Amino acid sequence: MTDTSILVWARVYGPSFPMERGISLRSPYVLAFLALLFPLFGVSPLAAQSARAKEVGQHIKCMCKGCDMTAGGCAHPGGAFSGPCDSAKTELRQIDDLLAQGKTEQQIIDAFVAQYGTIAYVEPPKHGFGLVAWIMPFVYFLLGLALVVFIVRKWAMRPAAASPAAASAHNDALDRARAQAARETED
Amino acid sequence: MDVFGSFSLLLAFVCAVYAFVGGIAAIKTRHPLLIKSTRQAGMAACVLIFIATISVEYLFFTDNFSMAYVVSHSNRDLSTFYKVAALWSGQEGSLLFWSTLLSIYILSVLIAYRNKNGELMPYVGVVLAGVQIFFLTLNNFVENPFKTLATVGPSGFLEPFTRMDGNGLNPLLQYPEMVIHPPNLYSGYTGFTIPFAFALAALLARYPGEKWIHLTRKWTMIAWCFQSIGIMLGAHWAYAVLGWGGYWGWDPVENASLLPWLTGTAFLHSVMMQEKRGMMKVWNVWLVFCTFLLCILGTFLTRSGVVSSVHAFANSQIGPWFVGFILITLAVCTVSYIKNRDYLKSENQLDSMVSRESSFLFNNLLFLVACIAVLSGTLFPVFSEWFTNNRISVGAPFFNKVMVPIGLAILFLTGVGPLLAWRKTSADSMKRNFGWPLIVGFLADVFFFAAGYRDLSSLVCFFLCFFVFWTIVMEFYRGAKVISARTGMDLMMSAHELAMRNTRRYGGYVVHFGIVLVFIGIAGVPFNQDVQKTMNLGDSLKLGPYTLTLQTADTKVEKNYTAQRMIIEVLEGKDQKQMMMLYPEKRQFQGNEQAAGTMVAIYSTLRQDLYVVYAGQDPDTNLPVIHAFLNPLVKWIWLGGVWVVMGTLLALMPNRRTALVLAGTATESVPAPAPALTASATLREGHD
Repeated sequence: MTDTSILVWARVYGPSFPMERGISLRSPYVLAFLALLFPLFGVSPLAAQSARAKEVGQHIKCMCKGCDMTAGGCAHPGGAFSGPCDSAKTELRQIDDLLAQGKTEQQIIDAFVAQYGTIAYVEPPKHGFGLVAWIMPFVYFLLGLALVVFIVRKWAMRPAAASPAAASAHNDALDRARAQAARETED
Repeated sequence: MDVFGSFSLLLAFVCAVYAFVGGIAAIKTRHPLLIKSTRQAGMAACVLIFIATISVEYLFFTDNFSMAYVVSHSNRDLSTFYKVAALWSGQEGSLLFWSTLLSIYILSVLIAYRNKNGELMPYVGVVLAGVQIFFLTLNNFVENPFKTLATVGPSGFLEPFTRMDGNGLNPLLQYPEMVIHPPNLYSGYTGFTIPFAFALAALLARYPGEKWIHLTRKWTMIAWCFQSIGIMLGAHWAYAVLGWGGYWGWDPVENASLLPWLTGTAFLHSVMMQEKRGMMKVWNVWLVFCTFLLCILGTFLTRSGVVSSVHAFANSQIGPWFVGFILITLAVCTVSYIKNRDYLKSENQLDSMVSRESSFLFNNLLFLVACIAVLSGTLFPVFSEWFTNNRISVGAPFFNKVMVPIGLAILFLTGVGPLLAWRKTSADSMKRNFGWPLIVGFLADVFFFAAGYRDLSSLVCFFLCFFVFWTIVMEFYRGAKVISARTGMDLMMSAHELAMRNTRRYGGYVVHFGIVLVFIGIAGVPFNQDVQKTMNLGDSLKLGPYTLTLQTADTKVEKNYTAQRMIIEVLEGKDQKQMMMLYPEKRQFQGNEQAAGTMVAIYSTLRQDLYVVYAGQDPDTNLPVIHAFLNPLVKWIWLGGVWVVMGTLLALMPNRRTALVLAGTATESVPAPAPALTASATLREGHD
């Protein structure tokens, strides 16, 4: 995109947009605003949380009860800050500490489950009652598959004489109903 | 206006009860005047619901802050646009809106069939009135939107009380898509009431199974189309507003909207079995019953908050009502089925496991398994709490693991199913039909692998997408070539003509094409990247080919909110080519200190989306935090959604008569079709 098109973009956003006057970081207005907005000190604690903690945090629920997201992926929609909320940050720090102690991912998850209960792990556990959640889709599929195979075999074995005309000839009631439906409705 | 609206809502209830009770009497007595009066009562109920809805909107527009609902969901500075949408931003209004949309369908049906299907319509009217009574009960007696504020006056009695201003609309809902997403989704939910009513009515009236299918074909497609649009818009809203970088989080409310869509899609397919082969009549009736029940369940899950917290269930007033209605409906359906199941006998046979019939069965199997898996996953936390007192979380990783294989299997059938012949498919025709698509799928995988998309499930998905795409292209090509040979039109015109001659079939292919595009988009998920960085002015962050530099920031004061806007320059590639400026915002709305809205800035290309969120200020340093995502192929999903809608609209159009086109063509000069074309023409016979 060229400079001109940037200006066009800028205009869409109205005259208050600084780009239109050129980017001037020395403008007193901008400086005053920035001084108000960003006192410059320190290193963000966000950066302190390692990428690995975020990765492990994808498996652990954010316990703030407001966002229903994972600690690693918490964006806390609708909150004042669209990123990890305080609960998620605490949890990420905790994960970092556990990682520093040399704990594995599973051990960390277990530690959270021990602390908060089964709700802390975003997947159902693969033992106990949680196993039911994992097995059920396969059970549905196998039952359904058995049913489909059964039906197809049944259909395939149906005698050839059971063509539409023949079938209805054998079934007076159905025939009458069909005639009645044809009489009483129109498309 | 509140008394007026409240009263019309009550009158609507009375009319609906009359339409229900009078309708049953009319069925018994067959008295023409009674039939007419119950139909008119049904229509009156609809009109009265419209009046009540308009009253609520009037109260919003006039800033009537003596009304509890208006206070909770609006304020003086809220723009007109969002005052319309404020109607469905809370419990009471949403349920009223449900009734309103249902009324639009009911009124259309009652007017469209006023002089038709005289014997069946009283049954339909009774079923529709029954559904309407349930929602009007909620509107009138459980979640009434016309409640006024009151305070204890000096005399010790309650006195009306008016607030100066309202609490405002939830910031997350102040986005244009929120104005159109719920109406679409709710139109989908309510729309399935019509096929349900006809199915149940036909069963009660002892009509053979095919009749109601024929009558409700278009209604089902309309409802399905709205539901698809609603789901798509919901996903897009989540993507563009919530600012977490994704569009589908397997949230209970999202799942609730997916459930009836899955059974509805299964139904749209198995209907063809019944139309073409007279099979699966019982199945179709139950499928439409289940779709309707899932619509009610979806509304219940969305509105009651039962899944996000089991305790909300106890507190919510509407829970027992919904459970009661679902159980009653289920009982009515079961009893009618048991009594009249003889009228749903299947008639046909098939010869092979490899046939169109069995592919439809597998299609239905997969959609149903998908539906039950999503349903049980969504409800599992509730069950686990009931059974073990421990709440087990079922989050996105579970759904992804379970649904990805099912989704891929459905995609596979999308390609294979339509090309299998009815009854039995020969090995020869399979080779002819699937040879090229397999090669194209393989070539696509080579391309994507070389382009760096190295993930097994994604590669399987790309393979299947291009496989299906090529089967669709071949279908159009073969048909168009036949028409082109007969009429002398070029291939593009012939393809158009082909689609217009059999709109349902080729509309279906267009929908399939849209689904392919959606799957291409979904296959990009494993390659998402993101960086979150606290940035000072002039700082840069790198993400994929892009370099993002925070240039400056400003503040915009609007009527209803104040926005902090980050101005970010995007450079691309090694040569740092200037691409564009992005302006992610954070909006702080009036009247609500805690809640804020994000406006994500997205630079979207077919290859990838650069998705930039201004997360807010770092609480410790007060520096802005920028969260940038690189999401490959997302745009394909929205494009796919557009194709799905266009395909459905095509399928809704009436077929063009063949004779009109052939009339002007010379007969002698038509060359004999090539053997392959003859085969494909034969193949199409009996197809939908």
